[in-house]
Amino acid sequence: MNIQFKKGVLEICVLVLATRGDRYGYELAVKISEKFEVAVGSVYPLLNRLTQDGYFSTYLKESPEGPPRKYYHLTPEGWNHMRLLIAEWQDFTRAVNEIVEEGLKP
Amino acid sequence: MRTRDSYMMELDHLLRVIPEPQRKEWLYDYYLHFEQAAQNGQSEEEAARELGDPRSIASELLLGYRVDQAETNNSFGKLSRAVFATVSLGLFNIIFILGPYLALAAILLALWATAVAIGVAGIGIVFESLWNGTFSMAQALAVGLISSSITILLIVGLKSLTTSFYKMTLKYLKFNTRILRGNSK
Repeated sequence: MNIQFKKGVLEICVLVLATRGDRYGYELAVKISEKFEVAVGSVYPLLNRLTQDGYFSTYLKESPEGPPRKYYHLTPEGWNHMRLLIAEWQDFTRAVNEIVEEGLKP
Repeated sequence: MRTRDSYMMELDHLLRVIPEPQRKEWLYDYYLHFEQAAQNGQSEEEAARELGDPRSIASELLLGYRVDQAETNNSFGKLSRAVFATVSLGLFNIIFILGPYLALAAILLALWATAVAIGVAGIGIVFESLWNGTFSMAQALAVGLISSSITILLIVGLKSLTTSFYKMTLKYLKFNTRILRGNSK
């Protein structure tokens, strides 16, 4: 899949993954890279940008093993932003599907 | 084959222009990642390979930083850096960002130079007439007055034009990086 296309979709996925409770960076990065063929490392700049835009807030929390983990919490703005992106995504896929079905009609 | 230390060192080196607290924070994400990967029984090489090329990670982080900088403190140096950071993300941007940016910046600069030149010419005529009597004093003052009013008008106009150019460029950079990231808003 086109890399630039993928990056836009990643934003939606990262936001959605954080809806059921706070996640730490590694969790998000691995979850995303399991499903899409993206470099795990590119998820962190995305998380940073979303944090800077106020869609995530972060905090450090001790973990039983190893150094403190950085957790990402979806803010109210984050929720709104996510809903907006999902609506756009659904419009977009519907349009693509319509054209594909139309085009492949016998 | 990269190990954790060389990976972190390379990333640190690539991000050396970023001031301390911010860079540390970004690097901490990758440090944590290696830690976590090790706990899950992944080798350092494997984790480094999965993370991907440090250069592309660094250029993405840098771009976000530059745009942010240009937004918080208005300066043409900062704006140009943001433009160049975008350009480093790909050939596409050289054509669609750097080209128009340089062209528009050159036009703005030329207009500023024109405004200043007209003003200088007006003052010049007054002095010229004073010393060499090229024009009568009334004529010289009239010309001087006209040219300095033109200069003032031009400067007022150019100021707002420059401000909107600055804002538009930033808007475009953000819009463009959103396209590169794939979502429109």
